[in-house]
Amino acid sequence: EGIYVQSRGCLLKEVHLNVTDLGLGYQTKEELIFRYCSGPCAEAETNYDKILNNLTHNKKLDKDTPSRTCCRPIAFDDDLSFLDDSVVYHTLKKHSARKCGCV
Amino acid sequence: MQDSAAERPHFSLCWARRPYYASWFHMDVTTGVLYLNRTLEPADFSSQYPTSWPVKRLSVQAVVSNSFIKGSQCAAKRKALITLDFVNATMPVCAETDLKELCFPHTYNPHIVENRFPGAFRQFRRLTRLAVCPNLTVSYSVESDSPAPFAVSENSTELVVTAPLDREESELYRLVMVCTVRTETLITRLETPLDVFVDDEDDNAPYLNGTETADVVISFNRTKGGTFGSLRVFDRDLTTIFPKDKSHNRYVETLLSSDPWIKETFDIKSSFSERKTSPAGIRESVHEYYLVLKRNLHVSENRSVYIDYFVNDTTYPGLEGAVVLHFNVTILPVQINFANTTQEFTVSRRASVYAQVGRICVENCLEFGGFRVTYWLEVLDKNASASSLSCHAAISITQAPDGMWGLLYVNDSEPLHRPECQDLRYAVVAQEEFKELETSTQIQVLLDGEAEQEIQDNQQLLSCAEKRQRRDCEAFRGLGATTGRCLWRPGAGKGISDHYSTCSPDLRTCPDGFCDAVESKDVSICPQDCTTKPVTGGHERGLSGNGVRAGHGTCYCYTDKCFCEKEDVEDVICDDMCKTIVATAL
Repeated sequence: EGIYVQSRGCLLKEVHLNVTDLGLGYQTKEELIFRYCSGPCAEAETNYDKILNNLTHNKKLDKDTPSRTCCRPIAFDDDLSFLDDSVVYHTLKKHSARKCGCV
Repeated sequence: MQDSAAERPHFSLCWARRPYYASWFHMDVTTGVLYLNRTLEPADFSSQYPTSWPVKRLSVQAVVSNSFIKGSQCAAKRKALITLDFVNATMPVCAETDLKELCFPHTYNPHIVENRFPGAFRQFRRLTRLAVCPNLTVSYSVESDSPAPFAVSENSTELVVTAPLDREESELYRLVMVCTVRTETLITRLETPLDVFVDDEDDNAPYLNGTETADVVISFNRTKGGTFGSLRVFDRDLTTIFPKDKSHNRYVETLLSSDPWIKETFDIKSSFSERKTSPAGIRESVHEYYLVLKRNLHVSENRSVYIDYFVNDTTYPGLEGAVVLHFNVTILPVQINFANTTQEFTVSRRASVYAQVGRICVENCLEFGGFRVTYWLEVLDKNASASSLSCHAAISITQAPDGMWGLLYVNDSEPLHRPECQDLRYAVVAQEEFKELETSTQIQVLLDGEAEQEIQDNQQLLSCAEKRQRRDCEAFRGLGATTGRCLWRPGAGKGISDHYSTCSPDLRTCPDGFCDAVESKDVSICPQDCTTKPVTGGHERGLSGNGVRAGHGTCYCYTDKCFCEKEDVEDVICDDMCKTIVATAL
């Protein structure tokens, strides 16, 4: 259980895709609903983020650019099983978001 | 149907719990014809369980016996189920009656047991329909493509089997029933197919097809559960598997030996199957018998035994319903030897720790079963100096728990760099688990390449599998690398391929879909074969559930967490020629 903040901007969105669109190499005609997290995390920022922002802006951190707060899944959808064109079963785990948060 | 001319059928209805309509019906005791006892009224339809359905289904059970049956006796008898569809309407007039309905009842395909008394088995007249069409003359005949012992009796319009049937001659008769309907002006002919199945009984004795003796030699494989030899017993009858308690064509087998050694060592297992005879296509049973070892045989066991096995078809009514099978068994003792007295292996001085040097195996070791052979290395020169002994620490031997191979591998790469370590001589000792058999051979491990004092091997070596690009891979010194550098396997095939791109310490053993005894010493050596963790990206797991059997694009691993993904720009796109051209252009 990580520490995260639920933000109004960071939302769960969904798109209807073919499994082949995922680019994982599976050859199949199956489809899925892919859910992902998107949106700004500005309201979740702390003094830490503000300081990092200032230091990066003033080029005080050389080439280092530490990660900022971002909108990520904090829980994943159930596994997805499908049959490929060679009639082999595959199961995808942690492939789609269930819940989002700024982490 | 009768089983003999002496049988006299007595028909009656049988009620487990008398329904409200029980009194409406009556069955003729000698003919088995079902009659209405009374005229059905509209009130009868709605009398019980009122529903809005236009049809109610009434079920009636009938029994038949050689003598009169009292109501209470019928419960234990086999019953025929009669279903009657009770329609909330009056009978259609003859002009509205479909001729197909008039001619043929709704019927199932009949079964007749072989070797039984001939007789009538199906009444074709539709009594309810004929009653509304008294002016029509309906007659029946039966036809078939090949000669078949079936006919329609002239006066009764019953289908009759005219002779006892033999399943071993024909399992199925495909008949066509022909119905001819005559009016004063018109003759109409209708046909319907009828398949008559012949049910089997045990009327054939088992037989052998030439071979009654199996010669069995047990030598290298002497594992408990191992099967040897095979003898087949044929039976023209069928063997039913359902219901399980059915005793038809039941075989009882007995091992005819009082020798306690045979009884505690051997068992005979059987399996049965069904095949179709050619060209008639009649099914028959095939029973196959195997000799099975009940325990692991000791390596020194050396004897010959003769095992007789009695197979009895207990339900065959004739005299010769049994056959005797013979297993002529020779058990040879096992010897262990090395094929070569000395063997030479070469290892690069740059090889990393866990690099595989070679394999050791006593003769026929792959066929061994039921006992284990373990290998170890000994330094040949017992009075060797401490420095020589430290050189010999370079190589070690390991063995998978289920394997008969010994794998030589680099246990310590530091001595390989030292100039004073030249060639390493060992004795490989192979010993059978009960220490009764032991053999040894000499091996010489040659160190290839220049001694290089400066290679620092003390740092923790990492896995070749971490590298995602050919250039990084081939420049990297990874765990298990035989030449000191990792090797790149370029991928072939689209989608999820067995031949994915990956970086490996030794392309002979990694990835080969098998986590061998050396690789399993440290999962970082070849995580592609050995990982047990979930893999991210398009992939297929190995057969054992470990490792990556097939992957999409390039598969790489950090420790034992593997990823398979297609790189957007494959570095194989720009080969050496292309690089030259790009460099020139710049």
